[in-house]
Amino acid sequence: MEDLTEFALNYAVGLGVEYVEVRYQSDTFESVILKNGVTEASVLEESKGISVRLIANRSLGFASTNTLSRRSVKKTVGEASKLARTASRLLEKGVSMGGGDLGNEKVDIKPRIRFSNVDLESRVQLLKEADGEAEAATAKTQVKVPARILTLDTWLTDKMVVTSDGARVSSITPRAAVYTFITAYHPQKGSVQRSFDLGGTGGWEVVERWNLSELLKNEAHSLSKILLEAKEAPKGEMDLVLGPEVVGIICHESSGHPGEADRILGREAAQAGETYLKPDSLGLRVGSPNVNVVDDPTVKGSFGFYKYDEEGVRARKRTLIKEGIITEFLQNRETGSIFDVESNGSSRAVAYNREPIVRMANTFLEPGDYTGDELFQGIREGLYIKNFMEWNIDDRRFNQRYVGLEAYKIKDGKLKERIRNPILEMTTIGLWSAIDAVGEDLEFKAAYCGKGDPSQAIPVWMGGPHVRLRKVSLGGA
Amino acid sequence: MKREEIPHYVLNLAVKQGATDVVVGLVEENTRMIRFSNNEVSVSKAYHEVMLNIFLMIEKHRTATTAPVSSAKNLEKMVLRLIKTARITPPAEIYAPLPKGPFHYDQKLLKGTRISLEPNELMGYVEEAIKSALEEGAKKVAGTLVATKAKVTLATSGQVHVTEKPAGLELSVRAFTSDISSGHSVSISRNASQFKPSEAGRTAGEIAKAATNPKQGEPGKFTALLGPLVFAHLVSQVGLLSSAFLVDIGQSFLVDKLDSEVAYDKFTLIDDPTVVDSFGAKAFDDEGVPTKRNTIVERGVLKTYLHNSTTAKKASTETTGNAGLISPHPWNLMVIPGNRTFEELLADVDEGIYVTNDWYLRYQNYREGDFSTIPRDGMFLIKRGEISAPIRELRISDNLPRILKSIIELSKFRSWIKWWEVGVPTLVPHAVIGDLNFTRSTM
Repeated sequence: MEDLTEFALNYAVGLGVEYVEVRYQSDTFESVILKNGVTEASVLEESKGISVRLIANRSLGFASTNTLSRRSVKKTVGEASKLARTASRLLEKGVSMGGGDLGNEKVDIKPRIRFSNVDLESRVQLLKEADGEAEAATAKTQVKVPARILTLDTWLTDKMVVTSDGARVSSITPRAAVYTFITAYHPQKGSVQRSFDLGGTGGWEVVERWNLSELLKNEAHSLSKILLEAKEAPKGEMDLVLGPEVVGIICHESSGHPGEADRILGREAAQAGETYLKPDSLGLRVGSPNVNVVDDPTVKGSFGFYKYDEEGVRARKRTLIKEGIITEFLQNRETGSIFDVESNGSSRAVAYNREPIVRMANTFLEPGDYTGDELFQGIREGLYIKNFMEWNIDDRRFNQRYVGLEAYKIKDGKLKERIRNPILEMTTIGLWSAIDAVGEDLEFKAAYCGKGDPSQAIPVWMGGPHVRLRKVSLGGA
Repeated sequence: MKREEIPHYVLNLAVKQGATDVVVGLVEENTRMIRFSNNEVSVSKAYHEVMLNIFLMIEKHRTATTAPVSSAKNLEKMVLRLIKTARITPPAEIYAPLPKGPFHYDQKLLKGTRISLEPNELMGYVEEAIKSALEEGAKKVAGTLVATKAKVTLATSGQVHVTEKPAGLELSVRAFTSDISSGHSVSISRNASQFKPSEAGRTAGEIAKAATNPKQGEPGKFTALLGPLVFAHLVSQVGLLSSAFLVDIGQSFLVDKLDSEVAYDKFTLIDDPTVVDSFGAKAFDDEGVPTKRNTIVERGVLKTYLHNSTTAKKASTETTGNAGLISPHPWNLMVIPGNRTFEELLADVDEGIYVTNDWYLRYQNYREGDFSTIPRDGMFLIKRGEISAPIRELRISDNLPRILKSIIELSKFRSWIKWWEVGVPTLVPHAVIGDLNFTRSTM
């Protein structure tokens, strides 16, 4: 594909554009769907093409095609250029590209076990065993798990990015993911549901590490216990311990998204919305000194891993909140030029035909130095919320709600009875400020973050340690 | 090989190799998208794609692929790989042979409409939307314009070979008078003559202006007047969750509700892609079955789930023409209107809240319908039948089956909605809901 990407680049430069970046991307997926223990279908999918993103007359144009001929690519470049030039009459400030640590490298993630070495039968068997464990986990109770969906995806991304100012990066990235949705049902007590994703970068060894059967058994067992035992959630002020899954979604929604520079500038205003942060919010205290949130694409094996972003900029760890203070925004080269900073490698696109925009990668709260026992011992009356189902946040990223699924009462530092659906409905600053102790552990969950128009569901990790919050008012107002 | 010959070539090859049932779809799509923010264009985009979708069964063994179009030799390789994959894919629960044609299709639906992708014309729409929002008092305007032209050819082993040419224009526009005061509106159309960018911009601007200086809203249960964007979001959930596949996996509050009362007795929800010139008009589904008008909820009673041939066989019924090869889905939802004007609905609310838009709807439990969603853009207190003051920072935290049964009244005027949060074109009135539960952050 090198010839075709260089051809596109040179043709665009010849049209007199101010900047051009060309990306070839191929994603090949193999998926299997298991519905209620029976294979629904296997799916093979290939998405492959070239996109060109350019600036002409200070105006940004993007065009893509999956017809990989010189004729088609030439036409695509022409369309991007024509659109950009036509739009320049509707510009006030216009667009330019800032600097960044541009790369010139090939990055191939080598799988230990290639996906091609794992046949469909083995994949189905893995899902069936896990599904069987989920069913068996509740067999001795009146709780059934009558509705279950499990999907397993493996895919390979082959990508090349070239820019008119010298970036030349290519990569081959294998990824694996599992999606689960389980309903537990009791004739008198109704239903509870659990859904989550697992995901990582690497070969089949990633899937083996998950121990899916054990995981599904524990999840189904937990759902049955919630149905049979959980008591109504208390309301009012109390101390909390949140598990890494809850901490992860909070980091993603209440630190990562608010700190996206394109959102701060209003570029996503009509879709994913804006943010309570402003361009001058660097230095603003939003949480207690115990809060350190980072976004790091370079975490090996992570679902959001990449070494270079879609603008050819080398990825690095970004410290979004340091000791409770906003310290850095997520920037691409477009936003970096407005903020007068270098890009920190946050430009991502989910496929060849999607515009690269500012995205998170792996967003998490950095561990502290509290052991699990120490976190709990400090609580006389409180709640432990291990995971969640329902969540949302307003489009200024200031008012959020997380409704717990597996949750317990804490009394005198010990876990007591199960609690059903405790509601955490708080402001961003209220939430970050209530954290008084951070655990020494660290766990991640995978997810597909949605942003952009057309919406791009991009692989990320979100995570953190267990944390303790003081005097939180539970239950929503 | 000519492009239009590909579906038949692939179909015949797959059948020859032992497939019992085959669907081949060839989709060629040309899209232009202009995104704008801060009163200027942020990016202009063009997509050109030609994709081949193949679904293949060897009785209960099912496999599918999506891939770019390639040479005859590569297509042959692709089919052989699919056949091999199907043979080793364990059997599905149900084998429903593909519906047998030939079918009769509405030629007007197949024909589609004419849409221009000319950049100057598209920028003109954007200019109109921004200008009219600013004229209403907005300080900044953002949004998206999408123009799409497609050609979809479907060939199946059920003697289907048919082509349709959908096209459409979509505008979503959000106007701001401050960081916390905004309004949103949309215009969608299959043809330029009914496309109203100025009107959408003006409405967004009007709401934004009225929403200026909002006060913190108070939580509680209120009579709520829901604007079309909000009601379409809720109604489209009913349409989506009426998929027999989602019902089967418990991802729906409509499980075991067939022929039961699920809503207020004047609420009727129809999926009708046969209305020529409506945005979601469509002649055939993904199995080649002619689409039809399906009444999902009739006067409050759930009348049908949406089916493809596989889910229909499992339920011992007929396909509703809503395939989705794995999961059926709605095409073009419509709520039957009420007989009151917006002003009359408003006048009847003694104390309540008018919500013009919402986003981020998430369920705690699909089967029970427990969810929350967040009002955004203009939200207003209603006092003694009049809009009194803009408010902010509330959340709708409630239960969808309860909301459907708590509809008090619907307006006679309806609007077509489709935007970032509402993926299925949905024609809805304003709705008045009793005792809608609003919550807010505690600290």
